[in-house]
Amino acid sequence: MSNVNTVTFTIVLVLFVIVTVVGFLAARWRRPEVMAHLNEWGLAGRGFGTFITWFLLGGDLYTAYTFIAVPALVFGSGSIGFFAVSYTILAYPIAFIFLPRLWSVCRVHGYVTPGDFIRGRYGSRGLALAMAFTGILALMPYIALQLVGIQAVLTVMGVGASSANTYVRDVPLFVAFLVLAIFTYISGLRAPAAIAFIKDTLIYVFVIVAIFYIPTRLGGWGHIFGAAQTHFASINPATKKPIGTFIPTAKSTGSTQFDFAALALGSAMALFVYPHIITGALAAKRRRIITRNMSLLPAYAVLLGLIALFGYMAVADPVTAANVKKAGNAQLAVPYLFQHMFPSWFTGIAFAGIIIGALVPAAIMAIAAANLFTRNIFKEFFKPDASPALETRMSQWASLVVKFGALVFAIELPHTFSINLQLLGGVWILQIFPMLISGLYTRWFHRWALLTGWLAGMIYGTLAAYNVKNATTSHWAASSDIVFGHTIYIGITAIIINTVLAVVLTPILRAARVPEGIDETLPHQYTADPEQAPAPAPAGIGVSRDR
Amino acid sequence: MTPPNATPSAPRAAAHPVTAAAIGLLVAAAICGTLIVPIYARITPKIGDFPFFYFYLLAYMPFVAIALWLASLLQRRLAPPADVGDTSVSGGDAEATR
Repeated sequence: MSNVNTVTFTIVLVLFVIVTVVGFLAARWRRPEVMAHLNEWGLAGRGFGTFITWFLLGGDLYTAYTFIAVPALVFGSGSIGFFAVSYTILAYPIAFIFLPRLWSVCRVHGYVTPGDFIRGRYGSRGLALAMAFTGILALMPYIALQLVGIQAVLTVMGVGASSANTYVRDVPLFVAFLVLAIFTYISGLRAPAAIAFIKDTLIYVFVIVAIFYIPTRLGGWGHIFGAAQTHFASINPATKKPIGTFIPTAKSTGSTQFDFAALALGSAMALFVYPHIITGALAAKRRRIITRNMSLLPAYAVLLGLIALFGYMAVADPVTAANVKKAGNAQLAVPYLFQHMFPSWFTGIAFAGIIIGALVPAAIMAIAAANLFTRNIFKEFFKPDASPALETRMSQWASLVVKFGALVFAIELPHTFSINLQLLGGVWILQIFPMLISGLYTRWFHRWALLTGWLAGMIYGTLAAYNVKNATTSHWAASSDIVFGHTIYIGITAIIINTVLAVVLTPILRAARVPEGIDETLPHQYTADPEQAPAPAPAGIGVSRDR
Repeated sequence: MTPPNATPSAPRAAAHPVTAAAIGLLVAAAICGTLIVPIYARITPKIGDFPFFYFYLLAYMPFVAIALWLASLLQRRLAPPADVGDTSVSGGDAEATR
């Protein structure tokens, strides 16, 4: 515990305690008559209005990926990291098209997970299992990434026993995570929704202050961009190539404009298919809250653009750049930048914001993964007669298991590895895009054709990502690969293979009269806007309206 | 068994072709403006100290927000969605007031 700044540490600790108390009290917020139902524990009564949905989805979307991983990529490679900005812009119009339809059909039928929808639409347990498996698989490394973000902050704070044993060194991380696990277990989705308010306030404050204050310390934006341009044009002695790019190039390989667009499009398509984002959206009270939020959420995207620029500030600040280089971990760029630039009390606020900003999405992800497991694996294959109370208990325990699985993930694997696995999570989750999105519009696709396409996409995507190597790593080095002479995001190649297979196989299977499965949804249900939540209705519906 | 028919899109879109087209156009513009990278992958012209690429990415977000806000307003001009079990379009007069 040497080199710990007492002021910074105290502020982080106080804010963490406040958040813990709020997390436990959240169970009483809009308290239902029965908590032991997945609509309550897992979707907080499906009664959130525009305001809370905005905070909840914002809490979902902007995670340690945003605060730690994106600036780290910008710090290390330059302009290609800004694909994340482009992707958050793209995500909203794409979601604007399909998310309201998904909300409506899930509302009418009381579906809790996207797997429930697949099950009802295609009458296929196998397809729903594929969906649940992919969702849980893709969320694990994403939760692990949140932990890596917390770890990065704790490392720079100097918190942690100076021991060679990783488990001893990460005791503070364990404590933070244990608290998170317990209040998620007790309060369900209400906990992250309540904490999201605190998180966003902290983050808005520190980002806005940082964006105006740090450039004055570094000689203005002109100097920051100039330093970045010079830095990324310089030649890396190991590879004999420039360190990075300042503007995506028009060439066919490397950090190209084409790959920039492919990464942005792939990530944007993946975003609103992630189970935890769907969980956040399904908790909304009315259909129009979804569309309205798609126009309100880009306010967060502006923040992401500014946060990505922290990567260039870290390049332009010699002390930060030297610290990061010494530690050999680009993910420390933002924490080191803040520590060097800000007085220690403000560093405390910023660090607390990043830590809480990682805990909120981690909680929602664990809930989403737990719901998938309970509804589409446990209930479907092991206990079809499970009562709502048993389902809820199962989900509570599953959320703990998922979280501790992710914890082991984060501690055992090298950090760069987990960042790449998060990108691999995107490759995986994209493979459910065809079945989920096409299902919202048409029953044309045959269920086994979709399943085959999914399998092919998963296998191709995993193998292709595994085989990417660079100068320092032999596997999982990046999420883009060269196909037909062009660098392109593996997720996009895999989803093309997936869709083409599904299109080709559908007429063949139909001609062979393979059973189609029963569709329990009706066309008008995709545009329905029922006011009443599916049974049991939460206490006080129609009485306590937030507006 | 349900025949593999396409889910008809909301009947309300057909009743207001101009509004529906305007919504489609706004959403398409929001998508294309950032997906077509060559239109902004340049250093010049600089806006203040910001190279064009970075300025464009930051400035485009408010544009998307406004475009989607207009689209959601236009959607309200389409007839309100039918309630469950009610296939007619006149289902939700009560909520049209909000």
